[in-house]
Amino acid sequence: MTSTRRDLIKFGGGAAVGALLTPAPWRLVTDTALWSETWPGVPRVARGEIRARYTNCSLCPAGCPVRARCLGDQPVALFGVADHPFSHGTLCPFGLAGHHLPYHPQRLKQGPVEQAKAAVAEAIARCGAEERIAILDLRPGRTASWTYRRAAKQWKSGTYLAPHRILGGDAAVNLAAAKNVISVGAPLFDGWGTPGNVIAARDKFRLIQIEATESRTASLADTWVPVQPGDELQTARKFAQDLAAQGPTLVLDAGERSEILALNQTTGALGTAIVSRREAPVPDSWNQAAPESQLDALPDRSIRVLLIDESAAGSYIPWSRIEKKLVADNPVVVVFGSSADGYGRHAGFVLPTAVYPEAVDDIPPAVDSPVAMFRLSTSLVAAPAGLVNPAQFIAGFAGIDAANSLRERADAIHKAGRGNLFTYADAKSTPLKDVKADDFWKALNDGASWADEAPVRPAAPILALVASTANATEDDLPLAVLMAEAQPTPGSPILTKLYQESNLRLAANRIALHPSAAKSCGIADGGRAMLQTRCGKLEVQVTLDEGLPPGVVRVPAVPCTLDLCGTSPRAKVVRI
Amino acid sequence: MRGVFPFAAGLAIMLAAGWVGFPHAIYKSRPQPVDFSHKVHADKAGQKCEDCHAFRPDGTFAGIPTLDKCAGCHAAPMGTTPAEKNFVDQYVTPVREPQWAAYASQPDNVFFSHIAHVKRGQIQCETCHGNHGSTDHLQPFQQDRISGYSRNIWQVSERVKTTRPSMTMAGCIDCHHEKGLEHSCLDCHK
Amino acid sequence: MIGPNKNVKAARYGMTIDVDRCSGCGACMVACAVENNVPPAHANATDRTGLTWIRVYKIDNGLPYPETRSAYVPVMCQHCGNETPCAHVCPQQAVDVDPATGVVGEMPQRCLGCRYCIAACPYHARYFNWWDPAWPAGMEKALNPDVTPRMRGVVEKCNFCHGRWHAAKQQAAADGKPDTEPVSYTPACAEACPTKAIHFGDLNDPASLPAQAAKQGESFRMLEKLNTDTKIYYRSKRDWVRRIADAPHPAGTGKENQRG
Repeated sequence: MTSTRRDLIKFGGGAAVGALLTPAPWRLVTDTALWSETWPGVPRVARGEIRARYTNCSLCPAGCPVRARCLGDQPVALFGVADHPFSHGTLCPFGLAGHHLPYHPQRLKQGPVEQAKAAVAEAIARCGAEERIAILDLRPGRTASWTYRRAAKQWKSGTYLAPHRILGGDAAVNLAAAKNVISVGAPLFDGWGTPGNVIAARDKFRLIQIEATESRTASLADTWVPVQPGDELQTARKFAQDLAAQGPTLVLDAGERSEILALNQTTGALGTAIVSRREAPVPDSWNQAAPESQLDALPDRSIRVLLIDESAAGSYIPWSRIEKKLVADNPVVVVFGSSADGYGRHAGFVLPTAVYPEAVDDIPPAVDSPVAMFRLSTSLVAAPAGLVNPAQFIAGFAGIDAANSLRERADAIHKAGRGNLFTYADAKSTPLKDVKADDFWKALNDGASWADEAPVRPAAPILALVASTANATEDDLPLAVLMAEAQPTPGSPILTKLYQESNLRLAANRIALHPSAAKSCGIADGGRAMLQTRCGKLEVQVTLDEGLPPGVVRVPAVPCTLDLCGTSPRAKVVRI
Repeated sequence: MRGVFPFAAGLAIMLAAGWVGFPHAIYKSRPQPVDFSHKVHADKAGQKCEDCHAFRPDGTFAGIPTLDKCAGCHAAPMGTTPAEKNFVDQYVTPVREPQWAAYASQPDNVFFSHIAHVKRGQIQCETCHGNHGSTDHLQPFQQDRISGYSRNIWQVSERVKTTRPSMTMAGCIDCHHEKGLEHSCLDCHK
Repeated sequence: MIGPNKNVKAARYGMTIDVDRCSGCGACMVACAVENNVPPAHANATDRTGLTWIRVYKIDNGLPYPETRSAYVPVMCQHCGNETPCAHVCPQQAVDVDPATGVVGEMPQRCLGCRYCIAACPYHARYFNWWDPAWPAGMEKALNPDVTPRMRGVVEKCNFCHGRWHAAKQQAAADGKPDTEPVSYTPACAEACPTKAIHFGDLNDPASLPAQAAKQGESFRMLEKLNTDTKIYYRSKRDWVRRIADAPHPAGTGKENQRG
């Protein structure tokens, strides 16, 4: 019996019918559908027990209390601590996504640590008589700041530098005591002070916002006073004179210009809305510390070694002001930070530090806290290996052991016995004298904040006003520069919601122009352009904004633009 | 008769392949990491289901207990079985979590609430998990090679075990219909 | 399958949003993305192709500088109660209006990506995944376990943080509360709002803030003339804000514009 092709076809037919009568083809279809659900492009979420852990946000000096919702030990969401007497449970958009920062793709993880150590040691050794070793601390008032001051004292010509501030150090703002607030562009509802505190005090004061453009704060103010850039002082003075009779009138300025803040001396704000604030106690042995100096007061070309602590974000000093103080021949500049986009663009060595919420550091009190505060940003996520602790690195060159400085500071505060401890897990406030030293330290590491007691009669501070440096007129540049609200760098990747996916905030590579200004430069919405000032130029993308006055360009407050516009308030935009 | 033979042969071979060979081939079987005996723990240790498979205070289900629950009693071997000794040596001492294979694991987009079924629905563990709680040995985990889900989930009937293609939504819906409960999609999906 | 559960007291979850308190900070947008595992934008995403389940729009009164006045309006799915447009047009029945909660649920698992619902939605509150979600390496550890991420090619939108509703139901079961009562919970945006402009509650409960706001004269709903019976009541004392929400006839008063 020979098999023919027809037999084969019949065999195939039988097999096909047989297959359809078995579960196999139906199972394969269902299984393939189920298999396709596990799409390789989509991560699978973890499962496990949900726990709460507590810390304080260190992204800005507000230091808002944070409750982290954790899957096991991994934070998956952040919230404020609802019952906190100062922050009232508020977190800003940046703080809400702070737990993403350790995973930011541009976050620094490696750096030339040994080479930097060698270079610094060698430069310290050959530091000339007129030259100095300087530490620039962008967020003064921390325990690390004291370590820097102690180290500077140890060196022959050590200098401790911090950005000049009139409010926020010894002079603090008590918003609740102000009847009126005249704000010259200060972003009261958009990054100034502690958001929860400002919002809670809102109904107590009348806000006059003097600003060229209607910012977010201006749109919520009682009155927005549009001014041309340059007319702010005269307008503020007029309002100050009129309103001072009604009660303490606080005058604030986004740029902290002395001539504007000086108005507080005549509006009854000193001793009421601006009070003298003593610092949280420090160990007695630390009092051998260098004082704070100002960069502009140093002679030009005198810094041989500059160590910049950028790990805790604060004011950014435009590089041109720093560069002219460095010696001409091979100064050693070391930057400690988690991003290469700040001073890292200018430094010789960039050493990586831990980011929030990996780092353990203390957060100095915010500008709007009338009393001293001590709170720690605890370590919720393990930091990767290879990072540097700036305070310990620098202390090493001065023979100081800074490893336990936070504990030493906590013990000194405890010894003074003042103030209250607010613990987050149970939302309880306890007077510090009723807490043992070890319990105090443990509470701080588990999530708590200490606040000093308010003096019975707040003292009126003396404002550290400085003479303003008049800028050369730059009338050849047509546009006045307006700084937009600050943003942390880097922020969480999810912040694209606010910048790229909605244009709600001005992205780091964008500027905003009035349509008529853009038209005169020949630029359309979204077009590419060069932003030029006396200090340099930068490629940007243009957003049109009808809410801006003509003759103004609005730029984001990030290091590249601050370098460009920080000392040059006028700019020109050229189409590419 | 001769003309029908190839057709019949094809039919017969494929029927055998589909009903016998296919179920055998589609599943990849592996044993659980530890030969755990529910019977011993229920009888000798006098434990009930909820002693190890508990609800947390927020209502979530703890599922298969983690190592610290077992190590609470088994820090050192309590009996003489080789399975227990193996467990202590391989997992308790080096503090390594056993990688249990959960028979009833669901896709990521399913929200199954144990507490809704146990506390509100008053459903006994045995209704869905069968005699799993009184077995002496854990069933090997028979994993579908394509979809990745387990073969035996319900532990209830042999017939269901072999023909039901994984625990699809139809299984949940059948029981809900029987009880007269109707729901919205997002009640059980996330 | 979808029908009323006879014993359960139906809730109608809704919100009241005070436009006069909104500072335009965007905390709600960030909190929503964190809670719902919304991925960071693809490099090519713009404000038209991004995923912003809640989006804060900046509106202004249309007058030139210095008469310009702006306001910020957070917009998310309005959970239309009457003739829900997206539910009507979906060929896959991937949109489910829950009679027990009033929430309009999008089922990305059923969606085939035709985007008819995006065209149908009068509020532009639905978003399409043009790309697979991509989180930077390691960041997937920080995802919310209560919400499943979506693949590309499907539509997603606000569901009033249903993961939190699930958690509230579980907590209610653990606390021994009866199943017939609706649970009380707070979505991410309402919880995060620093100025407390967003409040969430049960519109069927007369004591809740949204229910009280719904009755007040200064409350309005978006595009009310479309009769979609939405559940988000906006409030503002400013007339020009109210006029923009009603999208008046073009022959009306002037150059209102809506900028996003």
